[in-house]
Amino acid sequence: MIHAELVLEELRRQRVTDVLGVPDNASKALLDLLAAEPAIRLLTVTREGEAFAIASGLWVGGRTPVVLIQNTGLLEAGDALRGTAMRMRVPLVCLVTVRGHARMAARGLRSSAEALDAELLGRPDLDSVALLTEPTLRAWGVPWEVLATDADVPRLAAAFRRGREGEQPLAVLITSDTVAP
Amino acid sequence: MTRDEVLRPLAGRRGRAVVVTTMGTVRPWARLSDHPFDFASADSAMGHAADFALGVALAQPQRKVVCLNGDGSMLMSLGTLVTIVASGAANLVLFVLQNDTYELTGNQAIPGAGRVDFPAMARAAGFPRVHAFEDAGAYAAALPSILEGAGPVFVTVRVQPGAEGPLGRGPGESAAYLRPSLAESARLLKRALAGGQ
Repeated sequence: MIHAELVLEELRRQRVTDVLGVPDNASKALLDLLAAEPAIRLLTVTREGEAFAIASGLWVGGRTPVVLIQNTGLLEAGDALRGTAMRMRVPLVCLVTVRGHARMAARGLRSSAEALDAELLGRPDLDSVALLTEPTLRAWGVPWEVLATDADVPRLAAAFRRGREGEQPLAVLITSDTVAP
Repeated sequence: MTRDEVLRPLAGRRGRAVVVTTMGTVRPWARLSDHPFDFASADSAMGHAADFALGVALAQPQRKVVCLNGDGSMLMSLGTLVTIVASGAANLVLFVLQNDTYELTGNQAIPGAGRVDFPAMARAAGFPRVHAFEDAGAYAAALPSILEGAGPVFVTVRVQPGAEGPLGRGPGESAAYLRPSLAESARLLKRALAGGQ
């Protein structure tokens, strides 16, 4: 688990102004904190693709946005990410909660290491979106960092740095639930 | 109405507003305007011009932001209507130029062509100000008030189908802001907005 206040502290340090996304269970604790955070505007969108385009407009307008979505929504938003934040080379950090990670890890599987086929992706004991997340990011040219525990939170700062240096969007995969203090 | 009857009066009144164009309106607008605050959401992501414009509007609340969307593009992201209202972006004016076709791909009919009611959708999403025009004179007369006051404002204008093709982003384009890459174009607008011109 990851304590949500640690993530929020890093977002404050990075002077994030806006968080855009669609809620899920894993991000609930962080969303609760963001809803009460006066320095950051929280905007819920109807579909994840909107978030990448709005965030790109916010960055052009001088703000520092972050996208917060589930990996299912990441897959849904592929062309929006490609055509806005990536094509515009926006240094945008996208926090992605990884649905299905626990079941995948419990079976000794890793997203980047498996040969994907219909048999694996159809297994009822797995959530296929977890298997597809890292290969999809790799295919789209989006680098990523992984946050699994509180000890990984410094990787969030690294993601902001890499995004700025590379002038490109970058994903931070959150593989466990965020929790309240 | 012709597209020119929609765009020419707007070009004369846009002042320091950001104008975001997409699809079949990109080149017609560029023939009338080549301004640091013009931005073409082209060679980009289909259906997300209004989302991008919303982001700029939220970042620049003191400045009017006009999005010239197409009907096919609007249908691709109808949820944006709800997000715009929920965001409280009072400085956004969202046009939908409705010609009932996907013009850039050869004027195939959009779903619901001739039946889809964009003003009703905008009202249902909660837009406080909704306008619909089929007559050039009525549109031109109303335009000053459309561009003034708090929004968000939604405007549907019925236009004739045209024959525009996709943007090339190169030296062959007429307007300076259409020639750079999308990334460079975004940075030019970012710098212009930061300069507060």
